[in-house]
Amino acid sequence: MSGVLVIEDDDRIRRSLMMALEDEGYKVRGTATAEEGLAAHRAEPAEAVLVDLMLPGIDGFECVRQLRRDGDATIVVVSARDDTHDIVAALEAGADDYLVKPVAIKELSARMRAVRRRNRGGQASPSTIVVGDLEIRADAGEVRLRGEPVQLTRTEFLLLCELGAHAGQVLSRQQLLQRVWGYEFGDERLVDVHVGRLRQKIEDDTSSPRRLVTVRGLGYKLQR
Amino acid sequence: MPRLGLRARVSTTVAVGALVLSAAVATLSYQFIRSSLVDERRNVVWRTAYYDASYVEARIGGPDTDYVEVLSSFNPGRGRTPVLVVAGTPYRLDVAGVDIPRNLAEMVEGGQAGRQVVRTEQGPAMIIGIPLSATTQYYEIVSLQELDNNLRQIGLVLTLVAGGVTLAGAGLGWYTGRRALRPLASVAEAAQGIAAGDLNARLDPQAEPDLQRLAASFNNMVDQLQQRIERDRRFAADVSHELRSPLQTLAAAAAVLERRQDHLDPRTADAARLVVEEVDRFQQLVTDLLEITRAESELDLSEVDVLALARDQCKRREIDPALVTVLDGEDATWLADARRVEQILGNLLENAERHGGGVVAVRLYQEGEHNVIEVDDDGPGVLPENRELIFRPFVRGSTAERRGDTDGAGLGLAIVARLAESHGGRATVLDRPGGGARFRVELSRRPQ
Repeated sequence: MSGVLVIEDDDRIRRSLMMALEDEGYKVRGTATAEEGLAAHRAEPAEAVLVDLMLPGIDGFECVRQLRRDGDATIVVVSARDDTHDIVAALEAGADDYLVKPVAIKELSARMRAVRRRNRGGQASPSTIVVGDLEIRADAGEVRLRGEPVQLTRTEFLLLCELGAHAGQVLSRQQLLQRVWGYEFGDERLVDVHVGRLRQKIEDDTSSPRRLVTVRGLGYKLQR
Repeated sequence: MPRLGLRARVSTTVAVGALVLSAAVATLSYQFIRSSLVDERRNVVWRTAYYDASYVEARIGGPDTDYVEVLSSFNPGRGRTPVLVVAGTPYRLDVAGVDIPRNLAEMVEGGQAGRQVVRTEQGPAMIIGIPLSATTQYYEIVSLQELDNNLRQIGLVLTLVAGGVTLAGAGLGWYTGRRALRPLASVAEAAQGIAAGDLNARLDPQAEPDLQRLAASFNNMVDQLQQRIERDRRFAADVSHELRSPLQTLAAAAAVLERRQDHLDPRTADAARLVVEEVDRFQQLVTDLLEITRAESELDLSEVDVLALARDQCKRREIDPALVTVLDGEDATWLADARRVEQILGNLLENAERHGGGVVAVRLYQEGEHNVIEVDDDGPGVLPENRELIFRPFVRGSTAERRGDTDGAGLGLAIVARLAESHGGRATVLDRPGGGARFRVELSRRPQ
C-alpha cells in the first residue's frame, strides 16, 4: 500500500495535480476513469485516493463506494461541486474528506501529510475500551456491540476510539478534526456526517442517540 | 390638468346619465301633471263662471238694481272675485282689486266670452269675461294661487327626486368602479410581492373572468422575468463554476513553479512569483463570487452552535477566542444556515483585521425577531456617507485603497450583506462607542 492515486478525467488537472504532489514527495499514479482507477487500486492499493465526482462511466460517488468496499485507503473527494447535498452524499458513500476545487496544493498537501501521520502513527489510547455494552479493541481494530462485531471504516473507527478514550468527556468538532483527521482546521460537516454514520452502526434509534450524544454548543460525547 | 381617475370617471358618467334621465322624466311628468291640472281647473273655472254669470244676469233686470248687492248676494267662494261692468262702470266687492286688462275687456264688450291669465300681487289669477248684454259684462277673477302652489310643490318634489337619482347614480358609479377595480388590487399586490423578491406570486386567471387576459399576460410576464433572473443567476454560477477546473490546473501548476523558483533564473522566478500571486487572488475572487451566487440558493437550516463557530473562526485567524461573548445566556444556538453564518463571521473578522485595526469584541445576542452578530474593531470607523457603499461589491476599505498583494477583491462585506439578506436580515455598520466601527448583522430567528 503506497502512494497517491488521482482519479480525474480532466487531463490538465490530473497532470498538474500529479506534478504538484510529486514535488511534495508523493509517489503518484493517475487515471482518467473510475474503472481504470479501481483496477489500478486493486492491482496495487494506494495509501490515499483523490477522486473527482464527475467522471465518465462509473461516477465519483459509485467509485468512492467501491473503493470503500475494497479497502481502507483514505478517500478524498476533490470536486468542483460544492453543494452540501453532494458533500454529504460523497461522505456518506464513504469518503474521508471532501475538498472543493480549486484546492490549494498547500492545503491538499497538509491533508495528505495528516493522512500519512494517521496511517503510520499508532493510537495512544488504551488497547481495549469498554463503554457499557460497547467494546472497542484498538489494537485489533475491532468493535463489538453486545458481543456482536460491528463493521466500521477506518475514519469511523478512529472517531470511535477517540471518543471512547475520552468517554464521558465532551470533544468539540474542532478537537475531533484535529485528533481524528489530523487537520488544524476543517469543515465541521466532516465530523457531523461521520458521527451520523457511526450512530447508524452503534445506536438502536438514531433519532434519539443514547451512546453517542450531541452536547449543544460544545460537541460530542460518548456516554459512560 | 391631471387626468381623472378611472373610478371618478365611471362615477361621473353614471351620475350624468342619471341626471339626464331623471331630469327628462321629471320634466315630462311635470308637463303632463301641469297640463292636466290646468285643464281641469280651467274647465271648473269656466263652468262656475257661467253659472255665476247666469245667476247675476237673472237679478239685474230692473233699472234701479243695486249691483253691489247682487254681487254680494251670492258667495262665489274663496279666491273668486266677481266684477260686474254695466255701461262701462265696474261694480265689485273688493275696493282695490285687479283691473280688467284692456284687450280682454274689448273682446268681451265685443260680445265674445274670453279669459286671460294675469299676475297679481297675490299670485297668478285667471280672469273670465262673459258678456251679459250689449252694455253689461260679467267678469270673474279666479286666483290660481293654489294651483300654482301645487304645481310648485310638485316641481320641487320632482327636482328633489331628480337630484336624488343623480346622487344615487354617482354613488352607484363609485361603488361599481370600486367593485370593478377590486380585482386590480390583487394585481397590484402581486406586483408588489414580485418587486419585494417573491417571484412565485401569480394571479388566479379563474378569479375574475373579465380580467382573464390581464391575469394571463401578467403571469406570463412574471414567468419570463423569473426565467430571466434564473438564467442570469445560473449564468453567474456556471461561469464561476467553469472557472474552477482551469483554476485547479493553474493552482497546481503555480505550486510547482513556486516550489522550483530557486531553480529558475531571477527574471523567470520573478514572473513565476507574479503568476503564483495572481492565481491566489484569482482563486479567492472566484471563491467569493461563488459565495455571492450561493446567497441566492435555498437555506440549509439546522440548529447551529454560533458561539463555537465564532470562536473557531477567531482561532483560525489567530484572534483571541475569548473576545467572543454571548450577551444573553450561556450559548448561542440558533436556527440558521451554518455555512452562511460561518462565512459572515469569517468575512467580518477578516474585514476587522484587514481594514479595522483588529477585532476588539464579537457579541452574539437575540433582539426581537433577530439574532444579532456584532463585530467591533479598532479602526478609523466608517464615514456616514460610506456606510451603505461599503456593502456593495468591489468597494475596498480606506486603508487599502491600493491593491496590496494580500488584499482581497473587495467582495467580503458584499457577501456579508447578501448572506444576511438571504437569511431574512441585513448588515449595517455603526460607530463603536469609543472609536472604531461596529459591524452589525441581523439574521431572522425564523428564516425561510
